[in-house]
Amino acid sequence: MSLLNNIYNQLRISHKYVNRLFKERSCYISTSPIMRDLMEFFDDKKNWGATEVKTGRSWTKDDLRIKSNTDLHKLWYVLLKEKNMLYTMEHEHNDQVRLFPSPERLDKVLDSMENLEEVVRERNRAYYELETTEIGEQTHKTITGPFGLEIDYYETEHSIPKEVNAQWQKEQNTKCRPEDVKSFLLKYKEKEYLQNKKQQRRNFNHVIGLLNRFPKMDMEALKEQYPDVDIEKAKASRKYKPPLVFD
Amino acid sequence: MHYFNSRYPLYQKGNPQLRVFLSNFWMKLIRPEYKQPPNIVQFHCSMEMTKHDIKSYLDKIYNVKCVNVRTRIALGKTREEPGRGYVIKDDDYKIAYVILPKEHKFEFPNLFPESKEKEKEDHDKALDEMKKHHQNYLEKNRDRPGLPGWFSF
Repeated sequence: MSLLNNIYNQLRISHKYVNRLFKERSCYISTSPIMRDLMEFFDDKKNWGATEVKTGRSWTKDDLRIKSNTDLHKLWYVLLKEKNMLYTMEHEHNDQVRLFPSPERLDKVLDSMENLEEVVRERNRAYYELETTEIGEQTHKTITGPFGLEIDYYETEHSIPKEVNAQWQKEQNTKCRPEDVKSFLLKYKEKEYLQNKKQQRRNFNHVIGLLNRFPKMDMEALKEQYPDVDIEKAKASRKYKPPLVFD
Repeated sequence: MHYFNSRYPLYQKGNPQLRVFLSNFWMKLIRPEYKQPPNIVQFHCSMEMTKHDIKSYLDKIYNVKCVNVRTRIALGKTREEPGRGYVIKDDDYKIAYVILPKEHKFEFPNLFPESKEKEKEDHDKALDEMKKHHQNYLEKNRDRPGLPGWFSF
């Protein structure tokens, strides 16, 4: 949280600074804001009815890592507005049964926002590790669930300690009958085993088919894509019938 | 978005006011289904948003002051999957009716201007014409493949 407070303080300071700057130079530039209000939910007027809107690429993590916290904070809201605008336009186009032009814009914005969030989290983690030797994020551990399977348990804050939290205690103690769990696990593991086996066999046969059709294939790439298939064994199979090559 | 949704400390020292630094709420402005007074604007928004959230979202991010906000949750449509026979229900969505001050007016703009529409129509017509000519050409040359175009009249 303190990192976020830090961002907030920086923002406040930068606002003051900018205001002062503007006051000093108010005679040179006009500072009246662009009042677009609700029209910000719509695209530029020149793009209305267009069949294609050309855009650049999304913001990558490397782009964002060199930006300051203030810049990231501003960029987040620029992206958020863009996202709202695209949602509005998409909805209206669907309503009027039109083709929404360049829908990849939405993917780009969402991708950028995801990257930005990841960069902020990175910084937060680094800060907490430096200050408290812990990553300041929600901790989670794997526990055995009621059906005997391993599940992720995300630790959350509670208003009372767990020793007196009867409801939480009850939730933790919900367990199935041990015999039932045992028989379920047996069947579950059998199913998993058979699925793996089937997948392996399918891959093996597929590799033989590939070898038959493309005898001059790049073997390294094949090995990389199907690591569980023994290519020598595949070649020894009776299904392996490569075409004659006249070179 | 797991982090920002799930981990917000229940208690902080001094019990400060909630502050959202990177809001991930979305809102979209939609054309009202029924006729509304000119100062009412209709939105779809994130399911988690409250009336207060909507008010401060519009005020702080878009600089739009509103007098009052009313929300309702609309039922998603149910439809039959074509060819499969089972019923699918779309997600429910939250609709917000934002009331602007009396003197403000907002009319949902027409996003498909006449000139662009006409342009598109002409383009489609030309494309159809071209397709028809090509089809004719293929029809004509069906019995004599590989013959150059200049060979016949």
